Amino acid sequence: MFQADRRELACLPSAKLEQDHQEQQKDLHRSIVVVPETDPERQDLQFPDIWLRDNCRCPECYLPQTLSRLPQLWNNLDTSVHVLRQSVDLQQQVLYIDWSDGHASQYPYDWLRERDFSAANRKRYLRESYRPEQQLWSGQDFEAIRRTFYFQELVTSDLALRQWLHHLAVYGVALVREAPLEMDVLRRLANRVGFMRRTTYGEEFSVRAQPGASNYAYLAAPLPLHTDMPYFEYLPGVTMLHTLEQSASPGGVNLLADAFYVAKIMRDRYPEQFRVLCQTPVDWADKGHDGDLHFHNIWRAPVINLDSEGRFVRINHSIPQRDSHFSVPLEQVRPWYEAMATFVRLAHEHSCRFKTTPGDVLTFDNLRLVHGRTGYDDTDQNVRHILGAFIDWDIVYSRLRVLQGVGTSPDTA
Amino acid sequence: MWAQRLGRALATRSASSSLHRRISARIVDNTNIEVRPEQDSQPLTFPGVWLRDNCLCPECFHGSSRSRKLDWDNFDTGVKPVSLRTEDQKPDKELVVQWSDSHESRFSLQWLRERSFEEKRQQSYLADFYRPLTKHWSGAEFPTIARHFSYEEVMQQDAVLLEWLQSLAVHGVALLRGAPLDEGVVRRLAERVGFIRRTTYGEEFVVQAKPGAQNFAYLSLPLPLHTDLPYYEYKPSVNILHCVVQTESVGGSNLLVDAFHIADILRRDYPEDFERLSRVLVDWNDIGSEDGREFHNIWRAPVICLDAQGRYTRVNHSVPQRDSHFNVPLAEVQPWYESYARFVRLARADAHAFKTQPGDVLTFNNIRLLHGRTGYDDTERNSRYIVGAYLDWDIIYSRLRVLKKGGGSQ
Repeated sequence: MFQADRRELACLPSAKLEQDHQEQQKDLHRSIVVVPETDPERQDLQFPDIWLRDNCRCPECYLPQTLSRLPQLWNNLDTSVHVLRQSVDLQQQVLYIDWSDGHASQYPYDWLRERDFSAANRKRYLRESYRPEQQLWSGQDFEAIRRTFYFQELVTSDLALRQWLHHLAVYGVALVREAPLEMDVLRRLANRVGFMRRTTYGEEFSVRAQPGASNYAYLAAPLPLHTDMPYFEYLPGVTMLHTLEQSASPGGVNLLADAFYVAKIMRDRYPEQFRVLCQTPVDWADKGHDGDLHFHNIWRAPVINLDSEGRFVRINHSIPQRDSHFSVPLEQVRPWYEAMATFVRLAHEHSCRFKTTPGDVLTFDNLRLVHGRTGYDDTDQNVRHILGAFIDWDIVYSRLRVLQGVGTSPDTA
Repeated sequence: MWAQRLGRALATRSASSSLHRRISARIVDNTNIEVRPEQDSQPLTFPGVWLRDNCLCPECFHGSSRSRKLDWDNFDTGVKPVSLRTEDQKPDKELVVQWSDSHESRFSLQWLRERSFEEKRQQSYLADFYRPLTKHWSGAEFPTIARHFSYEEVMQQDAVLLEWLQSLAVHGVALLRGAPLDEGVVRRLAERVGFIRRTTYGEEFVVQAKPGAQNFAYLSLPLPLHTDLPYYEYKPSVNILHCVVQTESVGGSNLLVDAFHIADILRRDYPEDFERLSRVLVDWNDIGSEDGREFHNIWRAPVICLDAQGRYTRVNHSVPQRDSHFNVPLAEVQPWYESYARFVRLARADAHAFKTQPGDVLTFNNIRLLHGRTGYDDTERNSRYIVGAYLDWDIIYSRLRVLKKGGGSQ
């Protein structure tokens, strides 16, 4: 048996405790448990008292069948709870703790190592288990990051499925080929991952110019770069487009651009316009009906959306779905238009082009990429027919974690 | 007959519009357009570039999909109004603009008024039409803010449907009564609004005591205050809980708290706790399987989520679904626990308890409210049985806007 260390922790100023209370509790509040690493190459593991107590693994505190914490402790959590005695059994690889509230806990080494608070370990966990790090690309790099997957493999092989989802998470785009020319391809793919995301347009949608019987040259207009459904707070995460028939005319070419890359260029080269696109809320809207369901969707959000750490989390862009209502002060209007024109120009400059063929399923991150297509001529003999559907990132990442075996060993659960 | 009367009314109106009711407009600073609906009225100012972008002619605007089709790949943001003309003769007054790109646009006064850049007009558009303003409440106020609606009336009358959804948007909770005791109620109700939001647990879910359940809610133990599915980036918005069988035992009571009210208290009285709870990212998770399919959901977010203006957008709270992984620097941990413990204490002290009856449908905002229930005992003859489903706010607000505009065909 070895003693685990205790160490003073330079804590952030403690919460608003009364002065005397604070004095009395000072030592307890600022202590952490240091567990020696058996491998001399590695840093010792460090854990705050309160976190260890909160995550006690005994049957009173933790319910293995739900893999979750039992809530009773929190009915009246004593945040001054602290370690009375601690020891390490190196042979059994267990840390034992006796607590000031009379409770006793034990923690397996592997479980602790996985949750070590060092910056390096936390970074590792987020990359491996939470969400893979995204790699941004410009249109010129498209050939280098482009990767093809095969429908039959995705349906039968978990490894292929995992590689597809991982590639989609990192680069935001992946092409699936050799899918049958059947109507249920997207459903089969979605079910492999989890389930489809339903929208006001239903679960699946059909993109097709519908020529009249005697229409010889139906011109299907070009569709400029956009994200799908920016008028939802909960934007559909991944768009899947299955080409059933492709136009033989020179048009109907897919356009794709990594709008996070475009945002990064704007941040570097046009910081003021970047700020404007991050801070000006735009009204995105869609009014209409699909079957009996009438809708009037509106969501107000900037074009470039950042999280609290300044990372890109979502792009909104659609010329048709931008409302004529623009609920910002007058003086913010012109700067926004100028910034937006830069964004649109850069997105074009950094877009790539390719043309899918029947049996292709183009899959891409709808929070991040903008997509479009060039105009095409449709005739009775020359039709373009694309089926579409969405899956949410919550569901994709969950599947990816399961496939990567993140939660399968008891140590990580 | 009716058309004739309308014609007369219009004729009378235009006859009474003398000179002082005339619309006028001028170009300001070379780029903006100032419109004076009548001679004495306050002018409305519109940015020229915005007007050009919103030209309603068939070249720039697609009527049937009601959307812009202007070619932005060649849009010149330096476009300027060259000359203006106003027309009073039409049923609605119009502004006609000649642009530096040789284009001409035409806007009706009503269209312009509805899009006024005046702050007051924008605020009322947002509050009346975009999303109603929320009103926060303490547990003691619950009886005065909680409204009851008849399930049958909600299903049959659009006006009652609107009131229910409005009440849900403003207060975050509303109770429907008198629903039948079949399992299709939550689906019919959801389809009256739009459609059910599916989650890892399917579309409808049943809450009943299941020994050995993989989800904590499916046990008869007390279920402390929490929000559902905090481990989703796209958290389901509104919880619909249909009470089919209520326990006759003591317990099984619902607990509800307006967590936005708790956040108000923290912001006012404990700013440091508020700051921490709105900044420190917490790992929320759920690992398990449903219908033979494994899942592993994780979402990292603070307990109190704020938008760029500091308004509450979401509260996350669940003791069982908080991950043992806590990806913050060591020094953040202890202070965060103290702040979170304060939040939990305040919420518990403020919780309002009541017990739904068979036929009740409890609906509440899962983004904002915490809910829980007291423990209960099932017997062979009497076992508590609740059917639940979710609706998303995107879908509810959309329905509310359609109802406010008076029907769907507009």
